Amino acid sequence: MNSIMTKPIQASGMVAHQGSGEIRLTNITKQFGNSYAVRDINLTIPHGSYCCLIGPSGCGKTTILRMIAGHETPTSGEIHIGGQMVVGKPPVERGTAMMFQNYALFPHLSILDNVAFYLKMRGVGKEERRRKAQEMLQRVQLDHLKDRMPAQLSGGQQQRVALARSLITNPKLLLLDEPLSALDEFLRLRMRGELKSLQNELGITFVHVTHTQPEAIALADMVVVMDTGRIDQADTANTIFNRPKTPYVARFMGGQNVLTGTVEENAAGVVKLRSAGGSVFEAKAEGAGRVPGAQMSISIRRDRIMLRRRGGGADTAGLNAIGGVVEATEYQGSYVKVTINVGGGVFVANVSDDAHFAEPVVMGDPVVVSWNAADVHVLSKVDTGAAGDPYLDGIP
Amino acid sequence: MSASTSYGARPWTFYVLASLFTLFVIFLYGPMFGVLILSFQGPSASLAFPLRDPSLMWFDELFNPRRTGDVVGALGRSLPLAVIVMVLTVFISVAAGFAFRRRFWGATAIFYTAIASLIVPGLVLSIGTLVTFRYLGLTASWYGSALGAHLSWALPFGLLIMFAILGRLNPSYEEAAYDLGASKWQTVMGVVVPIVFPGMIAVALFGFTLSYDEFPRSWLTVGSKNTLPLEIWTMTTNVTSPALYALGTVTTVVSFIVIAIALSSIFLIQRKRSRGK
Repeated sequence: MNSIMTKPIQASGMVAHQGSGEIRLTNITKQFGNSYAVRDINLTIPHGSYCCLIGPSGCGKTTILRMIAGHETPTSGEIHIGGQMVVGKPPVERGTAMMFQNYALFPHLSILDNVAFYLKMRGVGKEERRRKAQEMLQRVQLDHLKDRMPAQLSGGQQQRVALARSLITNPKLLLLDEPLSALDEFLRLRMRGELKSLQNELGITFVHVTHTQPEAIALADMVVVMDTGRIDQADTANTIFNRPKTPYVARFMGGQNVLTGTVEENAAGVVKLRSAGGSVFEAKAEGAGRVPGAQMSISIRRDRIMLRRRGGGADTAGLNAIGGVVEATEYQGSYVKVTINVGGGVFVANVSDDAHFAEPVVMGDPVVVSWNAADVHVLSKVDTGAAGDPYLDGIP
Repeated sequence: MSASTSYGARPWTFYVLASLFTLFVIFLYGPMFGVLILSFQGPSASLAFPLRDPSLMWFDELFNPRRTGDVVGALGRSLPLAVIVMVLTVFISVAAGFAFRRRFWGATAIFYTAIASLIVPGLVLSIGTLVTFRYLGLTASWYGSALGAHLSWALPFGLLIMFAILGRLNPSYEEAAYDLGASKWQTVMGVVVPIVFPGMIAVALFGFTLSYDEFPRSWLTVGSKNTLPLEIWTMTTNVTSPALYALGTVTTVVSFIVIAIALSSIFLIQRKRSRGK
C-alpha cells in the first residue's frame, strides 16, 4: 500500500510556465473524410481553470483536446493559447503537455529516463537531467522506484510517472485524456483529489476529458458538455447540474427528469402544460413563444421528487404530478433510487433512505410522483426525442 | 450422466491429440537426429544405420576435400549472402512498415504486389532471373542475381512480420515523444526502434535462414559458383559417403547458432523490460 503514497503530490517548488494558459477556440471544425468530428466550436477556457470536457464516446471531446495539444490539426478555425495563435506549432512551443489515456510510458526506458526524456531531447547533459528527473520523481513520491521499468509499476504509479514526465516540461496547460479511466474505483477517487489539489497549487490550466459525470462535477471549475461534434453547454458544474440548458444535458448529467408538454395557458409568466399522457404541470417561464399550443420541456431534479402510494380508483395525480408503476428500486446507501414507469416513459425519484424504509415501495406498486412548482427548471429547447440523444429515456 | 464421478480425468481426445503431437515431433526432428548420428560414422563408410566405430573422419573429409565438393567455398558464399539478405530485409521491411502505418494512395496495390512474389514458384523465378540477366547482358552471380532472387523470397516475410508489429504499436508512444519535444528522427531512433527491436530480430532471423537454406531461387541464379544448398544437392548425386551427413550436421549447427542468438537476444530484451536492470 505504501507504493501508492500516503501524502498528496507536492506541487510546491514547481515553477509555472510564464504566460497565460487561456485557451480560445474560434470556429473550430475538424473533418475526418466526409464526417465531422467537431463542427464550428467556439470556447474560451480561462487561465488557471480546471476544465472538464464531457460527453459520450464519439462526441468529439478527445478531438478537441488533441487539437489543443497539437496532435491534430483543425480543418478550419483558430486556436489561441495565451493570446498566441498556435495552429501548426508543435506542443513544446504551445506550452502544453499531454497525459495520454494509457499513459504511453516508454516501455524500454526506466522510470527515471522516462521522466528525463524531455530534457534529453533538449540536449541537457546526463547528470543534470537525471538529477532534475529525480527531483520531479520525489515530488510524486516515486523516487524509490526510479530504476524500475514501467511494466513493473501499478496503474496508479504509472499515472504518477506520466504526470511527472508531463510536468517536467513546465507547461502552462496540462491536457489529460481520460486520466482516471484505467484505475480501480478506490484509486480513481484518490487520484481525482490529487489532480485537483495539484492544479490548485500549480495554478496552471488543466483540461480533462472524461465520460464520467461525477468526475466532471467534482473536479471542474468549468464543465463543457458535448454532443456529436458540438458544445451543448459550457458553464460551472453547479449550473450544468442544476440549470441544464437542453434536455440532452439534463439527461446526460443525470440527476434530472425531463418532461415535455403542450402549453395550455400562460398567465403572467406561469405556464400550464399538459403532457401527452394527460398530466398537468406548471412552470415559470419568460420569453416569447410560450403561447397555447406550443411545445415546452422542463426538468426536475431526482432528489426533489415526492413519492406516494396511489390509493383507489378516484385517486388521480393532480397538478405537478404523474401516476405510474414502480419498475425497480435500487438502494444507494444514503438514498434509494426508485424507477417508475409513467406510461411508456421512465421517471426516477431519489428518495431518502429514511423515507423509503418508513414506507417501502416495491416493484409493481402503483405510485404518484409529485414536485413543488419552485423546483421546476425550464429547458431552452424542446425535447424532440431526436436521434443522436443517447440518453433519451422516452418520457411522454 | 456418467456412471462414476471422476475429477480431472482426461477425455479420450487428449490421448488422440497427444499421439498426433508425438508423431509430429518425431517427423520434425527424427530425420535431423538420424543425420546427426550417422555423421559420426566410422571408416566402414556405411550410409545407413547402425553406427560403427564412431569417428570425426567425415568432418575432416569435409574441410580437407579429396572426393567431396567445395564445401568451404560454398559456405564462404552462403554465409555472406545470408547476412546481406538479412540486413537488407530488416532495413527495407522497417522502412516499408513505417510507410504503411499511414495509408497512402496505392498502398494496398503495392502491398499485394510485394506479397504476390511468395506464390511464384521458386524454380520458375530462378529461370526468369537468369533469362532476364542474360538478355540484359549481365553475368549471374551469388552477390547479384542470387541476392535479388533471395530478396524476392525473404522480403515478403519480413514485410508481413513488420506490418503486424508496427500495426500493433500504439501511436500514443510517438505522440508522447512528439509532445515531449522529440524530432521525427529522435522519435524513430529513441522510441520506436527500441520498442520494436525484438520484432526486427525476428525479421533478421527470417531473412538469414530463408536465404541460407534457399535452393530453388539459387538454382540458376548463383552463376558458376555454388551456394551451400546447391553444393549439398550436387554431393547427394555424386558423393556416396557419410561426409554428406557431416555437412548436414554442420549446416544445421550454423542455423541453430543463428536462431539461438536471435531468440536469446529477444529474451534478454524482454527480461530487461519486465524486471528492470
